[in-house]
Amino acid sequence: MQHEYPRNGESTHPSSKKPKLSSKFITESDIRDEFSHHQQRVARINNGSYGSCPDSVLTAQRRWQLQFLRQPDAFYFNVLRDGITASRETIKDLINADHVDEVSLVDNATTAAAIVLQRIGRNFAEGKFQKNDTVLMLHCAFQAVKKSIQAYVTRAGGSVIEVRLPFPVNSEEEIISEFKKSIEEGKSNGRKIRLAIIDHITSMPSVVIPVKELVRICRAEGIEQVFVDAAHAIGSVKVDVKEVGADFYVSNLHKWFFCPPSVAFLYCKKSTSSSDLHHPVVSHEYGNGLPIESAWIGTRDYSSQLVVPAVLEFINRFEGGIDGIMKKNHDEVVKMGKMLAESWGTNLGSPPEMSAAMIMVGLPSRLCLHSEEDAVMLRSHLRDRYEVEVPIFHQVYVDREEGVRDKDGFITGYLRMGKLAKCFIRNEEAVIKVGAGFHGITCVLPASDVCCISQFLKNRIKGGQGAAPKNWNF
Amino acid sequence: MNTTSASAAATPQPFFITPAEVFSEFSHHHPSVARINNGGLGCCPSSLISSQRQIQLQWLRQPDEFFFNQLQPGMLRSRNVIKDLINADHVDEVSIVDNASTAISIVLQHMAWGFAEGKFHSGDATVMFHCAYGAVKKSVEAYFVRAGGYVIEVPLPFPVNSDDEILQEFRQALEKAKQNGRSVRLAIIDHVTFMPTVVMPVKQLVSICREAGIDHVFIDAAHGIGCVDVDMKQIGADFYTSNLHKWLFCPPSAAFLYCRKSNQSSALHHPVVTHQYGNGLATESSWIGTRDYSAQLVVPKILEFVNRFEGGIDGIKRRNHDAVVDMGEMLAKAWGTHLGCPPHMCSSMVMVGLPACLHVSSDQDSSKLRTYLRGKFGVEVSIYYRPPKDGEVGPLTGYARISYQVYNKLLLLLLWFIDISGKYLSLLQPKATTLPLSH
Repeated sequence: MQHEYPRNGESTHPSSKKPKLSSKFITESDIRDEFSHHQQRVARINNGSYGSCPDSVLTAQRRWQLQFLRQPDAFYFNVLRDGITASRETIKDLINADHVDEVSLVDNATTAAAIVLQRIGRNFAEGKFQKNDTVLMLHCAFQAVKKSIQAYVTRAGGSVIEVRLPFPVNSEEEIISEFKKSIEEGKSNGRKIRLAIIDHITSMPSVVIPVKELVRICRAEGIEQVFVDAAHAIGSVKVDVKEVGADFYVSNLHKWFFCPPSVAFLYCKKSTSSSDLHHPVVSHEYGNGLPIESAWIGTRDYSSQLVVPAVLEFINRFEGGIDGIMKKNHDEVVKMGKMLAESWGTNLGSPPEMSAAMIMVGLPSRLCLHSEEDAVMLRSHLRDRYEVEVPIFHQVYVDREEGVRDKDGFITGYLRMGKLAKCFIRNEEAVIKVGAGFHGITCVLPASDVCCISQFLKNRIKGGQGAAPKNWNF
Repeated sequence: MNTTSASAAATPQPFFITPAEVFSEFSHHHPSVARINNGGLGCCPSSLISSQRQIQLQWLRQPDEFFFNQLQPGMLRSRNVIKDLINADHVDEVSIVDNASTAISIVLQHMAWGFAEGKFHSGDATVMFHCAYGAVKKSVEAYFVRAGGYVIEVPLPFPVNSDDEILQEFRQALEKAKQNGRSVRLAIIDHVTFMPTVVMPVKQLVSICREAGIDHVFIDAAHGIGCVDVDMKQIGADFYTSNLHKWLFCPPSAAFLYCRKSNQSSALHHPVVTHQYGNGLATESSWIGTRDYSAQLVVPKILEFVNRFEGGIDGIKRRNHDAVVDMGEMLAKAWGTHLGCPPHMCSSMVMVGLPACLHVSSDQDSSKLRTYLRGKFGVEVSIYYRPPKDGEVGPLTGYARISYQVYNKLLLLLLWFIDISGKYLSLLQPKATTLPLSH
């Protein structure tokens, strides 16, 4: 009883770089249908957090789910392993890995971080590492990664070096310089840096990091292993694990690669030590290699991992495939970001070449964002009152002299613009076009109300409410 | 309002789910498979699949809003439902995880830290039964043994005739550990063993552990809830885990891990670390990164489903047990074999001896027989190889583990199975040699 997943009879090595030749690419109307399950009134500008998944992929996922429920034992014995291998093969080709054994599927980047860091913790416990050996990370590393370091490294006696990411940032050289400084500091007093954790695209604030160069520096400086946390990468920037050259590389497939929640790949370059990586949830597959361990961690729903080949079919309906999507997302988000920054008299957090499908846009200083709480409140307010979903970043300045100013003061807040809403209204309501096009998500806003962030903020500023509002009740 | 006891007595019976409705709820099951292995991967009715889909769509519709406003309250609701079902004192004692394998990893990782941080010493032991689930044994190897611990395996007598036989083996093993000067830090006890399946006298086993001064008692009740009575206060263990997708109709997958409140319990962590690290295991487990939490959020709806059956979950358990014992006894009689344990030590599963002429002589034979039954006869049933002991004459070496759940039709299955086994056995006549197992 074999599942007829799409690879039957087709090439088992679909290349993402060469989409199927088709005279008919996906249309705007097709895209709207594919994402019609999104809440229509919400301007969903935060694809970076939780991603999105088109209807045709959800349908493929349901087929897998029903197949399991229909006859679970047969599914387990005859279908599951091959299905996961097919997904891993697809990913191996996408990321230019040498061997499918280097590719494991896990739930998300958070799980991958736990896998890599749990091993570091074991090395401390088993005396392979000495007390005060170091792990290096960016200061803006994702909070889960920081906590994972606390749970596995600090607890086991290791120390941590944080590399301060300059922000706003103007060039890759600024990052490289900070990185080198931190390595020097890390190696001081004879400490050994056992692992460097480098984001490919930082989460908040979002910047594309020159990973290839940083990995090269790590090698030159004798850092034992490098783990690239590329949660946002695949579907957002080019991913070539051989070119990047890290020991471990993880990316979520549900953020920018249209997979249902959730699935990520963890690439582990073949080496003597890679055999000692284990999934923390142990099953009877323990010891058979991380990819096999990860492919069975007890009874659960593996459908989001099985659906990867179907996702590639969806992507290849777009002109240029994933490359086409990436370019269009990037061009549009930069265009929109520039437009907003100009309109507000603020700045972008990084130059366009250091952004992918997300960009940081400075918020007018008159909004007086003075804390993380202010940022959270603004975000909630935008969601509840204006049905705009966008994360807000509060910039902490170590030295006020470095701050960027607009005409009224220091810029302390940025919004992270992910996918953009092409706003239009059906039926009788007025059409308001924000500006850039977008693949698939539409949002409907009433003409009588504030129509986008830009207008909302203009109103705020016009209203002269420049003094720090501690309470966003209005 | 007329709420006198007289009028209450006259209240008409509520409508219970009908056989036709049950059939409809499980109409997605393969129609030509005799599915008598519910203990393997469980089942989920259509109405719960629909409820789960609604939750999935809510997330996809507006994930940020779902994350900020709905996820945590939803998880708390599920935990409260479970807390009441299992008679736990406080909802903080209840964490929801993917499955029992995850739960055991959580507890064993905590033990490994005990070794690393000097609370335990090299050679300190864990005691468990020899038939513990494969994943549990591997988890013990990965975390406990690797950190310096020692494993004491207690043989499970099988076939078994009474609770006392099990208790005696357990006492002997602990006595031996004591004589050897070993500190037993953890006891891992199945509530219902996996293969061969037997209901263990957990309450007495926990008492023995307490008398022996064992630090922690962990009950692996993967088959517990919906299959046997699950009462945390009565059982008295430190940790107790049960899958909800095996016998409680949850979609794959969800399980609870109960951790009795103590100084220790706050030190348990989910191995997948997020920003919730340090906020208690229950909170850590309710967010382990972006993923589909719908199977865990749908738990309140499960109660709605089981309460459509007469007697609710207790009625289901009782009827499953009675039916599977009937089926087992009929098969044993037809084949001239016996059950693996007396009925009171069976749950919703029973071990039925297979005729000796089938010559199940190894684990490979039992796998092959299982595959053969699936492929040739459309019967899904787990087969167990029971190695003969020294000095035994003509023991049964093969057993079928039969499960019974609400979607099974007793008489039909029975006739089918007897018919199949008749055909199967007739294949072996006149020569009772290898034959079908080499197919």
